[in-house]
Amino acid sequence: MQFGENVRLSFRGLIDHKFRSFLTMLGIIFGVASVITMLSIGEGAKREAIAKYQDLGVNNIIIREKKMSNEELEEVRAKFSRGLTLEDAAVIAEIVPGVTNSASQAEISTEVKYTDKSVKSTIIGITPGFIEMLNFKTEKGTFINADHYNKSLKVCVLGSGVASTLFRNEHPLGKMIKIEDQWMEVIGVLQSKTLFTETVGELAARDLNTDIYVPLSTFLGRFSPENPLTSEIQQITVQMESSNKLVESSKLIDAILQRHHFNNTDYNIVIPYELLRQEEKERQIYNFLLGAIAAISLLVGGIGIMNIMLATVMERTREIGIRRAVGAKKADIMSQFVTEAVVISITGGLIGIILGVSLSLTVSLFTDINTFIKPYAVFIAFGFSVIVGISFGYLPAKNAANLKPIDSIRYE
Amino acid sequence: MLIEIKNVSKNYIMGELEVPALKNINLKIQQNEYVAIMGPSGSGKSTLMNILGCLDNPTEGNYLFNKTDVSMLDDDALSTMRNKEIGFVFQNFNLLPKLNALQNVEMPLIYAGIKADERRKHALEALGKVGLTDRIHHKPSELSGGQRQRVAIARALVTNPGILLADEPTGALDSKTGEEIMDLFRKLHAEGNTIILITHEQEIADHANRTIHIRDGEIFTDRANSKENTR
Repeated sequence: MQFGENVRLSFRGLIDHKFRSFLTMLGIIFGVASVITMLSIGEGAKREAIAKYQDLGVNNIIIREKKMSNEELEEVRAKFSRGLTLEDAAVIAEIVPGVTNSASQAEISTEVKYTDKSVKSTIIGITPGFIEMLNFKTEKGTFINADHYNKSLKVCVLGSGVASTLFRNEHPLGKMIKIEDQWMEVIGVLQSKTLFTETVGELAARDLNTDIYVPLSTFLGRFSPENPLTSEIQQITVQMESSNKLVESSKLIDAILQRHHFNNTDYNIVIPYELLRQEEKERQIYNFLLGAIAAISLLVGGIGIMNIMLATVMERTREIGIRRAVGAKKADIMSQFVTEAVVISITGGLIGIILGVSLSLTVSLFTDINTFIKPYAVFIAFGFSVIVGISFGYLPAKNAANLKPIDSIRYE
Repeated sequence: MLIEIKNVSKNYIMGELEVPALKNINLKIQQNEYVAIMGPSGSGKSTLMNILGCLDNPTEGNYLFNKTDVSMLDDDALSTMRNKEIGFVFQNFNLLPKLNALQNVEMPLIYAGIKADERRKHALEALGKVGLTDRIHHKPSELSGGQRQRVAIARALVTNPGILLADEPTGALDSKTGEEIMDLFRKLHAEGNTIILITHEQEIADHANRTIHIRDGEIFTDRANSKENTR
């Protein structure tokens, strides 16, 4: 019996019973669509997380000043802690083994002016370590380098958002902008960064495109914080040799800082890599659940196919008898009915793929959930529908093949 | 010798009872014979037909078809036998309602593994032999009873089988159409086909050259039809 003939027959049956076939396929359609949607939502979340933590550096430990009210601040100062200082950064780099680099940064939020335009921005003073550790790319001009830092030059690099607000139709490079009472020269504009929409550990969500970077040496000499109790720097980023001993190193850093801050915990330590791992672990449970739901819907879809195939075999007992009488072997009947089940499930699978892909696209279009459709997800879904067709078509097909030709030909 | 049946018995198991349907049958049929098998219902003639048609194996005895022992064959080999050597014609035509006349006739060739264009050629030839050249693209439901039986006969002929096995071929037809079908069988016999006709009507049996009466699972009489009865 030729395979093509079977497929032709199956499609004919499918078209002859459009509504019934559609109902039969529904289970597979939803099963496959849910597999694809779930996998693409999972993949989207994973990619988002990886991108987010990559920005923070997978080998980095971040020490950040704790957000405190004025009263709390007064209390820790009274207990002799000066908050995070450049000295802390130097001590950590010296004592903790495996530190390859470290960067300190100080921040203030203030209004920035150019001609008649102004924008609210975060001014970040950075050390040369920052430039080496974080892969910031400029769209125009250059980023701040060691020379700018050593000479305490009055230069700045704008986040893309700031640049587009202040310099709508102008070329920003070489222009002077006013930060507080200081005039700074624009030497570069950063590439647009994705929004930091989620709070990572103790690092609050913020829009990196509204930042302005200046050399820390310039910053410390020329800008003074609104609140005189504010510590010298707001963040120390420590880069480690590898991600193996991040937890141990962070404990050591904590011990050092406790001593230097006279047992005041006025800082937080964040390990982006650990957070990534934790998040991945949480997602695994979630993925497992989604997978189980998809598996159940495929199973239900398969049972639907089996049910209808069993009914079909009953209904077509006579046809089977006739085919057997004119020379069809058991295997011929078997393959005819398995093919039919597979054609139903593949057709359902294809509709499910279309539905799943459009559902994923709709989700990322109309919600802030990112989705990413991996080609392998489509193949898995398709493969599943073929397997479901074969395995749930097998029993009805076997029933059909085992009908006795003498009995079935006289079946009314 | 085309067909040789030696000491064939067939028992059916009904609950705990073993009911004999055929008892020790011996029968020989030559190439190009036209044989009628007659008997009342329950006589065992259908069982004999099933065995002759390779739809069933005998409980005991041997069935030699062209000197091959068919009684020992497995299901696949029996299927091949039916495909190549037996052409069935049934009382109720047994055409597939979803297929048109041409596709119905082509069907046995699909199982013989013949390619589509060859199939079509053979099917058209067979339809020509039964005198059905138009309406070949119509479904069975769009054909008259006589036309349907012609399609069924074309399907039986399409593989050039050793025997045509017709089970009450006129049972569902009016007498005039029945006559036409019997004329067709006579013509096919004249062309060299071996025909076995199963019927309970004497009038139909009279078309054959030889009549075998079955009663209670045994051959009751087996004789050549007299010349005046044979048309």
